[in-house]
Amino acid sequence: MIFDLSLIADSIPKMLAGIGITFQLMALSAFLGLILAVILLLMRISGKWYLSWPAQVHIYVFRGTPILVQIFIIYYGFPQFEFIRESIFWPILREPFGCAVVALSLNTGAYVSEILRGGVLGVDRGVLEAGSALGLSARHKFIYLTTPIAARLALPAYSNDFISLMKATSLASTITLMDMTGIARTIVAQTFAPYEIFISLAIIYMVLTWGIQKTFGRIEKYLSRYVKP
Amino acid sequence: MDAVTGWWDDYFWGSMVVLQVFIFSLLLMVLFGLIGAAAKLSDNRVAQKISAAYTVIFRGTPEILVILLLYFGSAIFLTSVAQVFNPEIKFVDVPPMWAGTFAIALIVGSYATETFRGAFLGVKPGSIEAARALGMSNLQTFVFIRIPEMWRLALPAFGNHMLSLIKDTALISIIGLNETFFVAKQAIGTTGEPFTMYIVVGAIYLGFSTIITLTVMGLEKFGLRTTEGAR
Amino acid sequence: MTNSASETLIEMQNVDKFFGTFQALKNINLEVKRGEKIVVCGPSGSGKSTMIRCINRLEKHDQGHIIIAGKELTDDVKDIDAVRREVGMVFQSFNLFPHMTIVKNLMLAQRLVRKINKVEARETAMHFLERVKIAEQAEKYPVQLSGGQQQRVAIARALCMKPEIILFDEPTSALDPEMINEVLEVMTDLAKEGMTMICVTHEMGFARSVADRVIFMDAGEIVEEAEPEEFFKNPRNERTKKFLSQILTH
Repeated sequence: MIFDLSLIADSIPKMLAGIGITFQLMALSAFLGLILAVILLLMRISGKWYLSWPAQVHIYVFRGTPILVQIFIIYYGFPQFEFIRESIFWPILREPFGCAVVALSLNTGAYVSEILRGGVLGVDRGVLEAGSALGLSARHKFIYLTTPIAARLALPAYSNDFISLMKATSLASTITLMDMTGIARTIVAQTFAPYEIFISLAIIYMVLTWGIQKTFGRIEKYLSRYVKP
Repeated sequence: MDAVTGWWDDYFWGSMVVLQVFIFSLLLMVLFGLIGAAAKLSDNRVAQKISAAYTVIFRGTPEILVILLLYFGSAIFLTSVAQVFNPEIKFVDVPPMWAGTFAIALIVGSYATETFRGAFLGVKPGSIEAARALGMSNLQTFVFIRIPEMWRLALPAFGNHMLSLIKDTALISIIGLNETFFVAKQAIGTTGEPFTMYIVVGAIYLGFSTIITLTVMGLEKFGLRTTEGAR
Repeated sequence: MTNSASETLIEMQNVDKFFGTFQALKNINLEVKRGEKIVVCGPSGSGKSTMIRCINRLEKHDQGHIIIAGKELTDDVKDIDAVRREVGMVFQSFNLFPHMTIVKNLMLAQRLVRKINKVEARETAMHFLERVKIAEQAEKYPVQLSGGQQQRVAIARALCMKPEIILFDEPTSALDPEMINEVLEVMTDLAKEGMTMICVTHEMGFARSVADRVIFMDAGEIVEEAEPEEFFKNPRNERTKKFLSQILTH
C-alpha cells in the first residue's frame, strides 16, 4: 500500500504524451459539435415539422443512450455494412480517431443544441418586440439580438458540457486510441499499480477541468459586462 | 435482425443487471448527495472542505477512470488486507458489479450534492417563517414545508442525475460487468453482426431513459399542481 | 404636406381581436389625424395596450381594417415593415437592448432598417440623446441607467427612426414616482413639436395638458371619447365616471 513515487515520476511524462490526442479530440469535437448544435437548433425553431422532427429525434437518441454505445456502434458497428466500407467516409470511419471524433461530435451536438435552445428561450420577449417595433426583420433580430443575448445565457451550461466532453474523450481508449487514459491503462496492465497511475492521471484531468472552468469564467465575465453595473 | 434471435434471453437478463445496478446506485447516490449537501451546509469547516473536495474530484475526473480506480484499487486493497490473515492468498477479486455501482453512485452523488444544496437554499425563508409563526415545531416545519418544497426544486436536476446513472452503467462493462454490452460482445463473437447487436444495446438504454424521463415528467406535473392552480 | 392638418394617419375600422375565446377588442373605430395627441385610459385588461399593439402589428387583429398612413395592415410582410418604419413605440418596460451601449441601441435599427452609414447614424443618435438630455450616458449600458433615464433613451431610440407616429404603452407605470416627471417632460416637448402620439397612460395631468382627445376603454370597447376638458368635467358614461372617481381620488 505504499505509493511508488518513482513509478509516478516515470509514468506522468508517458501519459502526458497522450495529451495531444486528448486535446485534438476535445477541440475537434467541440468545434464540429457546436456547428451541429446550431444547425439542430435552427431546425428545431424553424417551425417546419420536417426539419424540427429529425432534429428532435437526433437529440432524443443521442441524449438517451450511453456515449460508449454510440462510439461502439460507429467504430465496430458501421464496418458491418458494405456500403459504408465503400463510401467516401470510410477513411474517417476506418480510424479509431475519426470514429471517436464523429461520435463525440454527434453526442455533444445534441446536448449543446438543447443548451442553446434554453438560451434562446431565455431572451426577454420585450427586447425582441422592441426590435420588431423598430422594423428589424426576423433574421436581423436573430443575429443582432437573440444570438448575443442567448450566448451569454447559455454559457454557464455550455462550460459544463465542455467539461463533460473533455472527460468523455477518455472513452476513446476503449477503441484502442492511445490518449492519456489509453496509455494509463497500458501502464497499469504492465505494472499493476492502479493507485499510482490512475490517481496521477485523475489529477491531470482535474487540472484540465480547472483550466476549462477558468477560461469560461473569463469569457462569462466579459460577456456579462453589461449585466450589472 | 434475424441474428438477434436466440440472444433475447441474454439481453433480457443483461437489462435486469442494468436495472439492479441502477436501483442500488440510485439509493447510494441519494445518500452521498444528502451527506455531501449536509456537509456543505454545516458550520463545520472540516466537513465543508471534505465535501468541497469530494465534488471537485468526482466532477473533474472522467467516469471511466473512477470506475477503473475503484475496481483495481479495491482489489489490491482487499488482497493486501487478506494477505495479513492468510499469506497464501494471491488475489482477492472484487465483483465488478459492486465496484461499479459504488463508483457511479459516487460520481453522480457529487453532482447531486450541488442539487440538494441548491434546493435546500432555494426554499423561501418566508414559508419557513410563516410555518414557525403558525406554531409549527421544527420537525413539523421540516417535514411538511421544507421537504416538499425542496423536492419540487430538486426534481428537474434529479431527473438528469438518474439519466446519468443509467447511462453510466454502460461504463461498468469495461471492468467486465455482465450486462447488455457484455451480451452484445458475446453475440458479435458468434454472429459477426456488431451493428445489429450494439443497436439492440442502444435501444435498451433508450427504453430505460424514456421510462425515467416520463416518470420525472409525471412527478413534475404532480409537484407543480399547487403552482399551476394559481395561474 | 400643406394640408397636413386634416390628413388621417391612423384609421381603425370595426377592429376585433381575440385571444383564444377571449375577445380583447370589440368593434374598435378610431381615427387619428396628423399632429393629434390621443390619451387612452381605462382599467387594466380593458384592451388599451392590445389596441395600440395592433397599430404596429405586434398583435394581429382578427376582423376589420387598420390603415396607417394610407397602407392597410395585412399579412404581407412588406406592408408590416413599411408601417413599422412610420410608427415608433415606447414600452412600459423600456425594452432596451441589454447587450449594447446606449448609442449602439440607437444606431442598430438606423443601420439595419434605414441603411444609414455609421457616422450619420451616430450623429442622429447623439442628436436625439441630447434632446432627451442624456447625451453624457451614450457609452454606458442600459443597466447602468435609472429607469427614467432608460425610458428617455427608449424615446430617443424611437425618434431616431424619424417616425410619423409614436405609440406609448404605459411609459411611466414601471417607474419610481420621482422619475415620472422627467419622462413626461420629454413627452410634452414632443407633443409641442407636433408629433402624432397615442399614449396609454394613467397620468391624468399629462392628459389634461397635452391631449387633443381622451379615450376611455373598458372590456375591449371604446366607451367614451372626448376632449380632455369635457372628459374630466362631464363624463357621460357611468363606467367612465366610476373609473375617474377611483383614479382621481387617489
